[in-house]
Amino acid sequence: MMDKWYRTVGKHGDVVMSTRIRLARNLEHRPFPRFLSKEQRQEIVEAVKDAAAAISGLPLHFVDVATLPERERLALVERHLISFELANAPEGSGLLLSEDERVSVMINEEDHVRIQVMSAGLDLEGAYALADQVDSALGEKLHFAYDERLGFLTACPTNLGTGMRASLMLHLPALEEQGAIQTLENTVSKLGLTIRGSYGEGTRPHGALYQMSNQVTLGISEKAAIENLNGIAVQIMKQEISMRQRLFTQPEFEDHAWRSLGVLQTARILTYEEALRFLSTVRIAAAGGVLPSPTIETVTALMSDIQPGCLMTAAGEDMPPQIRDRRRAAMVRAALGRAE
Amino acid sequence: MMCERCGKRPATTYVKRTINGQTTEWHLCAECAAAEGVGLFGGFGFGVGDLFGGFLTQPALRSAGDAVRCATCGKSFRDIAESGQVGCPDCYTTFYEQLRPSVQRIHGKTVHAGKTALTGTKESRIKEEIEKLKKELQEAIERQDYETCAVLRDKIKELEDGRHDG
Repeated sequence: MMDKWYRTVGKHGDVVMSTRIRLARNLEHRPFPRFLSKEQRQEIVEAVKDAAAAISGLPLHFVDVATLPERERLALVERHLISFELANAPEGSGLLLSEDERVSVMINEEDHVRIQVMSAGLDLEGAYALADQVDSALGEKLHFAYDERLGFLTACPTNLGTGMRASLMLHLPALEEQGAIQTLENTVSKLGLTIRGSYGEGTRPHGALYQMSNQVTLGISEKAAIENLNGIAVQIMKQEISMRQRLFTQPEFEDHAWRSLGVLQTARILTYEEALRFLSTVRIAAAGGVLPSPTIETVTALMSDIQPGCLMTAAGEDMPPQIRDRRRAAMVRAALGRAE
Repeated sequence: MMCERCGKRPATTYVKRTINGQTTEWHLCAECAAAEGVGLFGGFGFGVGDLFGGFLTQPALRSAGDAVRCATCGKSFRDIAESGQVGCPDCYTTFYEQLRPSVQRIHGKTVHAGKTALTGTKESRIKEEIEKLKKELQEAIERQDYETCAVLRDKIKELEDGRHDG
């Protein structure tokens, strides 16, 4: 079986967890999905499936999201393969997915078509190249709505133009520790970017995971938007690494890292938030050589696998939170082994 | 404080958004926040970014009328302004002038740069579009909808003139 991208570590993986490119597209002369009947939505699903079947060298299989058990829909959201909206979508929507789950196409979410490509680590150019290829192949068959002034026409005007949202999932525990995130938010917003906790807004994100993406899609080319995002990401990476170096020299951090690993290797009950908090510390300690093991790959895979939906999907059954927390602790112990 | 969108219910949700250094702040009630897609799962690319209705409900735009309707989805500019939701891709062409200020506010620019659509040659697309509009015009004549007729005639003329220029 092909390795799923979310269980691997890519370029600059110590700071950049993953890269995502999403393109919003719509079919010409058709109302946007929220104004379509079930039958009309179904027609679009079929048209997109047909167009996707003609893409050479990239087999995409269709997932009828509405028929999946709730835990599997949740797992798809947790792995960023579908949005929360699509997980709750009525009939007449769907998902096309490649075997390694890097390429996904949401059908009848907010827009008729949303092409999404994921990569491990920092890989904006690679992810865009693949998304562009899928877009061109689908566009040949589907006739995407386009205007010379406004570019690709989207249900929400915030996506007009390229329809492209490029995002990086950043692991920033050292900057968070320094209280530097607020300053960072203010700075990147002046540069046409936005940064926020990986799920929702307002709360302190779990595991110091932040998503940074471009905000403006009209009047800026895909290439320029990607270069802008990449350039700023490189600067943030440098700052995070230099803050980590400072942390690593402190004996308190070494103690904290070993204690975190100790909890993960011995706990019998672990909530998702707690596990993620300790894994976040262990991840930077492992990447920086403060801890001899585990590998950053092991920690990265765990951060994905311990999410509630993923955990229940792997087990093949629904579980109440208490049982899930025990199962999670067992999974973490099995992956991290016993302390030396 | 009352909701700035509906003006009827108390505001419970505060939304702040900054683009290109310009900050917009909104106080919304739970219903309007939900309608604008602001929730626990703001999602990716939607949610708070979608306060388009908010952009439109400014006094200058409240006078939006019903006279012109989109030929594809039947929405008037008032429908769009009130719901904050654009009906279909063709609404952007039909209501281009009315929508342009909002687009400018969101993106800071109004002219696309980047990848262009691949579908067909420009000439054949315009021809197709004219055929479609002529069919709609015939239907409008039959139901004696003269306001729509006028709009469609203008659009057809615009496209035909453009074709000869190009």
